[in-house]
Amino acid sequence: MARKTRKFSEDVPFSLTSMMDMMTIILVFMIKNLDAEGQLLTQAENLILPVSTSKVQPKEVALTVVVDNNYVVVDNAKIVPTEDVLKQEDLLVTKVDSVLKERRATEQEHALKMGLPADEAGNIIVQIDKNIPYDAMYKVMATCGFSGYTHIAFAVMQKNGGEE
Amino acid sequence: MARELKKPAKPEEPDLLPAMGLFTILIPMLLSMTAFSKLAIVEINMPERSMMNMDNDTPPEPDQQALNLSLAITGDYLVIGARGGFQPNVYFKEMWTFRCKSDAQLITHAPEDVKSAVESGHGPKCKDGSEMDKEKYLYEIETIELWAINKESEEDPGRVIWAVYSSQSENVPDSAYVDGNNAFLAAPGEGPMGLTPPPMLKKPSAGAVLATIDPNSARTLKPDVAAKNIIYPLSAYDLIAKDLIQIHTQFIDLEDVDNIIIVANDDTQFDKIIQLMDRAKEAGFSKINLAKLGG
Repeated sequence: MARKTRKFSEDVPFSLTSMMDMMTIILVFMIKNLDAEGQLLTQAENLILPVSTSKVQPKEVALTVVVDNNYVVVDNAKIVPTEDVLKQEDLLVTKVDSVLKERRATEQEHALKMGLPADEAGNIIVQIDKNIPYDAMYKVMATCGFSGYTHIAFAVMQKNGGEE
Repeated sequence: MARELKKPAKPEEPDLLPAMGLFTILIPMLLSMTAFSKLAIVEINMPERSMMNMDNDTPPEPDQQALNLSLAITGDYLVIGARGGFQPNVYFKEMWTFRCKSDAQLITHAPEDVKSAVESGHGPKCKDGSEMDKEKYLYEIETIELWAINKESEEDPGRVIWAVYSSQSENVPDSAYVDGNNAFLAAPGEGPMGLTPPPMLKKPSAGAVLATIDPNSARTLKPDVAAKNIIYPLSAYDLIAKDLIQIHTQFIDLEDVDNIIIVANDDTQFDKIIQLMDRAKEAGFSKINLAKLGG
């Protein structure tokens, strides 16, 4: 009996079904992780935030102060080296204070123009590296308070990525 | 003439190309909106001006009827103070847990061991024998653990207390179990510093009724949960959390029952402050103030 040879020239139809399965799995995973509200807070570079069980989200965009191992950064501008903050005796970090006061004055001016109360406490979010000593954190926090930003919140990473 | 039988037609496959096109657009769009690590905030109450020594005003006399709760952390112990008195110190041994990039395994080292290794030109050692980057090891710390220590006296180096924990993954402790008397299923370890788990401490089997420190958390252990339980050093944070819950429940009628002041040393890492704030909030203390230890 003659052996049947395979026809190599025959076109094999490209099956999209397996590709569709894969895409469906990816789509479901993406929808599960979707954050429809968007993020009002983004993590600064060069620091690791502490993990917390808190699930509280910021209600509005606020001024951000970042304290990493190298610098104290206000609104993406490097203001003073963290080492200098640690060395000083005073609670008030003068350079940070002057920048914050300037920002607070602008905010109050803007609030008046909009017909909103200008004497309300300012909101500020402080992002601090988890290894930063309490001394630096306390001085920055006190400076924020003296500059009129008395609603202070610390940015943290949600435990287990926010999963229950 | 024989009737020609019609061959049943092969069902046509639906045209999946438009769906594929849709998916290809949807996936990058969702990818840009996906949050893999979610951020949150922890709010605090601003410290009062009198605490900061920025003026010469004398602070007001403390209210004798108030709780005046404070939680202090030093390099060696945690202590709760209320109404001018203090509870016994909760001594701890600080441990750093790293995740090695080479084998993705968790390793735990004492800070002093890590620092002495770095001084001698080596990074923390992983389970597979490789070393972590000695320049960037601080960024690799996954958790700063405070292992509770049982001390007989101030001079006693103490022994690590081991407890039964629930666990969800790879030997990572989740919640410590307590018995019917709200006491941890725990015992001091053996060997130097009590670093060997005590043989008398057994994992509870399936069917046992246990609770965690959270109120109304009593449950009967299911076999799958019981299989995942681990014996792990008891966290000083858990010891403090249990006391805080008890205090909040006991003094619920007082006006300042929701207030707590966390007091810390200058060199306390920020991570420890956040862990204490978490425990305080979970215990019901919603108004958290911060202060410095020793003025």
